[in-house]
Amino acid sequence: MLRKLTFLAVSAVITFGTLSFDLPQKSEDPGDRLVGIWEPSNGRSRIKIDRIGSKYYGRVVWLIEPNDADGNPRTDINNPDPDLRNLPLRGFRMCKDFVYQGEDTWSEGTLYDPNNGSTYNGTITMSDNNTLDMRGYIGIEAIGRTDVWKRLKMPSRKKK
Amino acid sequence: MRNFLKLTTAAIVLTSTPAFAQTDGTADDDIDWSLYEDLGFEDESMKRFCSAKIEGLSPAKLISLGYDFQGPYTIEAGDMDLLNGSSLPGGSKQVNSTAGIRAGFNLPVVSKTNLVWQMGANYWNTNYAYAEMPTELDNPLHQTLAEDGLRTSGINTTVFKPLDETQFILFQGSADLSGTYGANLMPAQYLKYSAAVLWGKRPTEKKQWAVGLARTYRVGELNYIPVILHNSTSANNKWGSEVLFPARAHVRRTLNPRNMLFLGYELQGQSFRMYENLPGFDIRDEDLEIRRGEIRVRAVYECSVKDFIWMSAQVGYRINYRYDVDRLVDGAEIYRAFGILRDDPYAQMNGLANPFYINLSFNLVSP
Repeated sequence: MLRKLTFLAVSAVITFGTLSFDLPQKSEDPGDRLVGIWEPSNGRSRIKIDRIGSKYYGRVVWLIEPNDADGNPRTDINNPDPDLRNLPLRGFRMCKDFVYQGEDTWSEGTLYDPNNGSTYNGTITMSDNNTLDMRGYIGIEAIGRTDVWKRLKMPSRKKK
Repeated sequence: MRNFLKLTTAAIVLTSTPAFAQTDGTADDDIDWSLYEDLGFEDESMKRFCSAKIEGLSPAKLISLGYDFQGPYTIEAGDMDLLNGSSLPGGSKQVNSTAGIRAGFNLPVVSKTNLVWQMGANYWNTNYAYAEMPTELDNPLHQTLAEDGLRTSGINTTVFKPLDETQFILFQGSADLSGTYGANLMPAQYLKYSAAVLWGKRPTEKKQWAVGLARTYRVGELNYIPVILHNSTSANNKWGSEVLFPARAHVRRTLNPRNMLFLGYELQGQSFRMYENLPGFDIRDEDLEIRRGEIRVRAVYECSVKDFIWMSAQVGYRINYRYDVDRLVDGAEIYRAFGILRDDPYAQMNGLANPFYINLSFNLVSP
């Protein structure tokens, strides 16, 4: 009897745990409008933003120049931490920890610029459903720069 | 019952951990990166525009505080022609040093894909430390430099308007009060307006160029001159050029993105109103302006001291281009066009020897 009870309990926990992971992804949380594929203004890269738990993260999924001058995949050579300089840029998570604040704004996150290895405080504002104002700043928002990202169509093909 | 608790705990750990360990629930090895290659904008009416910067360019300075120091040199003041037809004799004087604070800020107002607009302000102070303090018996130029020095306070704006993915228009404008004023600024009627408008192209991520026309006081007096912008970075990101000819031109050596060396020159200058009256000499009524223009041949080292605070250290040679005095009757500007349009004589022609100089500044740089 105890064995059956244990089995049922474990099954319930697994099911509940899985649901608790999946449910937010499927719910219509207004913050999830940030989820998608975005292109920064310079058109040199594409960033896929996903929600993990209650926060939003963006990773590089495409680079116009994926390889360095030697033909090897580009890595994060400007990272201030020498141990991280071998990490490939494609797949690198450059937006971290953004939390939806309401009124089309996500903040409390950081933006990483692989061109100089700097990490900035960040605020994301959705000016319309297909346009983001990505503001990186130092300490206070007045001291910073805004880059405009455009939403790209979701890929239609699936990996075979 | 104990087993039940253990299993429950294990199940919670097992089911919860993956949510935090992965980025988006997909391991890198499982991602088909080619999915992201050919994607159009969700809103098909959207256009791509070129960026204002290129890869590898030195970081823009948002806030800057520095100190400029020139070593000893001689000022050879010429005879000064006065309004009443008489003239005051010139004379040579030794200056031990010329130094002052240079501060400025430049902050973005609008930073959009299709428009970048920045506003800024600057303050430059130059004090002249004479070996012997000039007296009323010396030429008024020496007196006014020793007692009042020169300073410039100004505001400026920069507008970058991309036209498409490669073409852009760049506008820079400034209004400066330059003179021998003290704590109280001069009236706005003495503002000097400079501007430049350029059209250019950014053919690659590592190169941009532009051509245009500038109204400038960089050589001391008003001029309208063609300007050429050329910024580039080599394929390996180690070398580059940062040129806005003829105002400045530098070759850049990037040791790493936080350490850069520059070799080149900059033209610096303004027209300084001799505004503060001197004992026994009513200089305001003379409508005199010092046309100061100088070439600074220099080596510059810029590095990140901590995060976004950068240091810039310059060592160079200051070459005098012009330090003559013009008389602007009723404030009317004289536009000589290098002697092509007019050939008005200067009220005083002066000569400066050329010293070495150093400049140290700390800067908060742009993200």
